[in-house]
Amino acid sequence: MQILITVIGCILFAVLAPIVGCLLAGLDRKISARMQGRVGPPLLQPYYDVRKLLEKDHVAVNSSEGVYITFALIFAVIAGGIFFSGGNLLMCVFVITLSSLLFIVAAYCTRSPYAEVGAERETMQVMAYEPMVLLMAVAFFLATGSFNVSAVFSQSTPIITTIWLVFLGFLFILTIKLRKSPFDLSYSHHAHQELVKGVTTEMSGPTLAKVEIMHWCENVLFLGWVGMFFVWGNPVSVVLGIAVALVAYFLEIWIDNNFARVKWQALLGSAWLVALVAGGLNIGFLMYW
Amino acid sequence: MTMLGFLIVFPLIIAAILLVVRNNAARSVVVVAASLIIGLASIWLVAVGLNGASPMYFELSSPLIDGICTAVGVVVAVTVVCFGVKYKNPLAVVLALIQVALSLVFEMGFAHGIHVETPLYYDQLTLLMVFIIGIIGSAICVYALGYMEDFQAHEPEGSPDRRPTFFALMFVFLSAMFVIVFSDHLVWLFTGWEVTTLCSFLLIAYTRTEEAIRNAFRQIVMNLLGGISFAIGLFVCALSLNTLSLTEFLVIGQLAPHIAVLAVTAFAFAGVTKAAQMPFHTWLLGAMVAPTPTSALLHSSTMVKAGVFLLVKLAPVLALCPIPGGMLTFVGGVTFLVCSCLAITQSNAKRVLAYSTIANLGLITACAGVGTPEAVWAAAFLILFHAIAKSLLFLCVGTAEHHIGSRDIEDMDLLFDRMPSLARFMMLGIMTMFIAPFGMLMAKWATLEAFTTAGDVLLIILLAFGSAATFMFWAKWMGKLAGIAGQSRNVELTVHTSEWIPIMLMAVLIGLGCVGLPLISINLVEPYLYYVYGELAFPIGFDNLLIAGIAAIVMIVVIFAGLGHSTARKVDVYLAGISVDNNNRTFKNSMSGVTQATARNWYMKDWLGEQRLDLFGTVACGVFIAALYVVAALSAAGLF
Repeated sequence: MQILITVIGCILFAVLAPIVGCLLAGLDRKISARMQGRVGPPLLQPYYDVRKLLEKDHVAVNSSEGVYITFALIFAVIAGGIFFSGGNLLMCVFVITLSSLLFIVAAYCTRSPYAEVGAERETMQVMAYEPMVLLMAVAFFLATGSFNVSAVFSQSTPIITTIWLVFLGFLFILTIKLRKSPFDLSYSHHAHQELVKGVTTEMSGPTLAKVEIMHWCENVLFLGWVGMFFVWGNPVSVVLGIAVALVAYFLEIWIDNNFARVKWQALLGSAWLVALVAGGLNIGFLMYW
Repeated sequence: MTMLGFLIVFPLIIAAILLVVRNNAARSVVVVAASLIIGLASIWLVAVGLNGASPMYFELSSPLIDGICTAVGVVVAVTVVCFGVKYKNPLAVVLALIQVALSLVFEMGFAHGIHVETPLYYDQLTLLMVFIIGIIGSAICVYALGYMEDFQAHEPEGSPDRRPTFFALMFVFLSAMFVIVFSDHLVWLFTGWEVTTLCSFLLIAYTRTEEAIRNAFRQIVMNLLGGISFAIGLFVCALSLNTLSLTEFLVIGQLAPHIAVLAVTAFAFAGVTKAAQMPFHTWLLGAMVAPTPTSALLHSSTMVKAGVFLLVKLAPVLALCPIPGGMLTFVGGVTFLVCSCLAITQSNAKRVLAYSTIANLGLITACAGVGTPEAVWAAAFLILFHAIAKSLLFLCVGTAEHHIGSRDIEDMDLLFDRMPSLARFMMLGIMTMFIAPFGMLMAKWATLEAFTTAGDVLLIILLAFGSAATFMFWAKWMGKLAGIAGQSRNVELTVHTSEWIPIMLMAVLIGLGCVGLPLISINLVEPYLYYVYGELAFPIGFDNLLIAGIAAIVMIVVIFAGLGHSTARKVDVYLAGISVDNNNRTFKNSMSGVTQATARNWYMKDWLGEQRLDLFGTVACGVFIAALYVVAALSAAGLF
């Protein structure tokens, strides 16, 4: 039965997440432009971009890169489907990690100097945020008594009340996951960086379009993780969850436009320190008090 | 029972035959036939065990076997002493003498009064180990045929051909492992334990180079310490508990943990040395000097698995004894994190594999230390999938080394081009080790659940950070392999069939294992848990395992059938518009000269320096073990 729900969830996510993610990306570009004193492109510009990419010829440096990307996209969609159908949070985390790995290997396999640097940085970024994500899942279990996302609906209070410290830690690494400056080492939206689109250097046309759609799906999923902290038994709380997720997204855009890229040492060190303090203290507190 | 005896004695007979066979073709026939028979016999025993009653205990009363055990102990000691004298290693001589003195005193003075009615047995955990030893172990023996032929060809002219001894030792090793997993009689188990120590000593010293001898002695010294601790455990068992049966010992331990503390601690220490946990991890790193099949055997199906097998057997008692239990959780957890981080700093493929083995054994050790049914479930699957994936990886690295002339990961650039099939197998092995939906990660997931329900914050943190480090070193290795330039020469055409078959077998086992994980759990692991704990544990949940199984099949199909079949038009890589030759990645530099773009992987040596981290792990674990051992001894002394 759970399998069927997951499959339906995946299908719905595959249809809806790109739409929502596309609008979010358009919003990002508009808000960023306003912060920089520009007007910015139309809201649907990301959609126009991807449509154009899809119409282009299929060109690649080898015959494997596109395959890796296709499956990275598929697994990103499955991860989203698992999450939004109320499935297992750890499963969702592991599947999205698999998607990240395929994305990284796609960059490595091109053997382009720029893509290789991007791929190595992306690997390091996964290593930086992974502890906090795992600790978040453990804290979720301690707060709800289950790893199933649907367990939030049987709570009398939102889990933010017990694991707010973990939430703050997660917000920190969310900047890495959304690839926002100062933590956009591998793949950036800002043209002034020393390495702009490291990972995707060799990706073009439909392959690049898949990467964009994958990022939209990922963004929706990660904002879902944010909203999850604010949802409880009351169905109206879903609105609150969405509202907080949007606020978090705005916050990330603000951070993106106000901070310069850091070196990898600062990224890794700060992410691990935050995970250790926020995750460790919160989980220790839940277990022993 | 005939089957048990057969699995123990048959490899010994084969070993004796191999010792005298000097002809290559004849040896190949004997090894292949023997491996096939051992494999089939193991499968047959597992099938019988699954269908019939399990656990099964077998009565046997034979003073002859007790005598043989004593004799084997003496032979082991004499061999070590001879080597110690020849290569001037007094420490090994002293330790071997202490151990043989202890066991002789024990068997003459204490063991006689205690009768073990059912010295042989098997339960579901044994069956799991039989599968690992019988299938993976003998597959490695087959692999060794082709490998050792190339190895001998690479040796300097006129060097002696020690292959008869080598193959004989491999089969003795298998026999000793069967003794360990089948023996309920602790003295018999100890005998098997000693034989594995000696076999790996001789296998590590195979090439007789200075480095090999040095590392072999490091191995023997550390494992003799473990052996002495095992002997102390036997003394305590006989004196204070009046039993030498492992089953009875576990029952007594569960009923009255306080009187079993010292014995459990002593056995746990022996397990920690054999499982190469910090501070004893250096012997496994040193064991790399041996030919690759030896490493594969030591890392996957034998030796270190004997250590964790004993620890997992002790788990129900460890759950009740905070002293040895705490020792194992701390040592295992710290070893997992430290060795995962150290693996990032290594470029030697075998060294990366060795650190990864030690780290994963750390996880199993920590699971045994937690000792809850969920933790044991996780440990069982960690043992199984680690054995399959690690042997696959060692076999791949061994073959790659002979064909590209290096075991350095930096030299595995473009392996996807140069050895297309081998690179895919290696990628499958790597993915099995660290990423969902493959087996090891499902087991790690269960580990995380077990640590969470057991309420151990330190272990959760160590696991979270260690897993992140694991991602780093595997992903960058995989990235190196995945590179495609489309120009390189295929060099895998000369790989021996006897190497391909075990490699393919491991890949098939990975697929079957990932898909059949729920079945293995229902038929093998859960009955064991029910029998030991009287309760069931099924951590991850059937639905999630089903999703994972489907995803695993998809990924295997992608690796072997999907990659390389895209129809996209080919273009050159981007070199910022000033490229000279795209295939060689050369470009025009600012002085109008030609430069080649090269990339090396990331090793983070400033952050994760081997010396600093290693020192930390060694000191922390060493002090912790010593302190708890003393506490256990004191608590026991208070009781006497």
